[in-house]
Amino acid sequence: MKLFLGLMIGMGIGAVMQLGGASSYRKILGSLLLKDLHVIKLILTTIAVATVGIYALDLVDLANMSIKPTYVAGIAIAGLIFGVGFAVSGYCPGTCVVASAEGKTDAMFTLLGGLVGAAIYALVYPLLAPLIGVANYGEITLPSVFNVSNGLWIAIPFSAILLLLVFTVLKDRYE
Amino acid sequence: MQDTPILSWKVAGLLLGLLVVLATGLVKPFGVSTQYVLTDAIVVHQVAPAAAESNEYLNKYGETSDWSIGYGWMLVFGMFLGSAVSALATRRMRRRENPALPAVWQAEFGNSKSKRLRQAFIGGLLLLFGARLAGGCTSGHMISGISQLTVGSFIFGAAIFASGIFTARKLYKNGLSS
Repeated sequence: MKLFLGLMIGMGIGAVMQLGGASSYRKILGSLLLKDLHVIKLILTTIAVATVGIYALDLVDLANMSIKPTYVAGIAIAGLIFGVGFAVSGYCPGTCVVASAEGKTDAMFTLLGGLVGAAIYALVYPLLAPLIGVANYGEITLPSVFNVSNGLWIAIPFSAILLLLVFTVLKDRYE
Repeated sequence: MQDTPILSWKVAGLLLGLLVVLATGLVKPFGVSTQYVLTDAIVVHQVAPAAAESNEYLNKYGETSDWSIGYGWMLVFGMFLGSAVSALATRRMRRRENPALPAVWQAEFGNSKSKRLRQAFIGGLLLLFGARLAGGCTSGHMISGISQLTVGSFIFGAAIFASGIFTARKLYKNGLSS
């Protein structure tokens, strides 16, 4: 059942990403060059909707949350490496799957490169593992840090700020 | 123009947000990059089982995912199928002579297909190396992580955009021709 749900939700996500231009090299580079903010606005809208939705589910104990540990040094370095790959390939690990399905050959090479990159990480993991212990604060969230039991108190203002940003502040230069 | 998305960012963002909530409510938040490790692990277990057993990282994942194709992998496979269906339905499937070369890339770097494919490959390698070190990518960390207000995901999001914007500017010195 979970496999079937995964397939269905995945198909929805893939279709929306494809129809929404998230798998477009031009749209992604446009966002990174801060010219065409379509993809940034798409992501921020997604987060705004999902944050309130997830914390609303959490209120009635229906959210199967999965919080990743916060190890500041490792995550910051990882993000810097990821960002280079993001700009150089023009895809990310999910959008290259979606773009490959559209027949974009370069995205298929990003997917292959990704499989190799993950394998290299598996090989050097023993060397990098100590980095994960540096400044590791465990599974913390804004509600847990500020000791707020009902996460909606943070989720709602946070989402409101994001929506304000995408609707009023962020403007495309070509709009 | 073929690259103009069919859905606006508002509609796509709303739908994607609802799908993330649905995933979190029904099973768990979605994340893509773990599935690259799982795919590697499945392959390595087939060709070199001993190497897979002796690798600390692959085995770490083995404890939680018993090497079989699970919910997360099916979700990513579904993303591929869903995209193929919608691309076919809206006649966006690439059948042009040069499906490897995005037009804006061509305008900046020329017609070398091998150069673009090399870039795409190296970029993918860096993406997954970074994603595995962080413990997630744009989907797992940025979208699902920030949506759960995870502190580390905010750090990851800030770092990828800082580095991505810097790198994109180095690549496209004259900006993007549109």
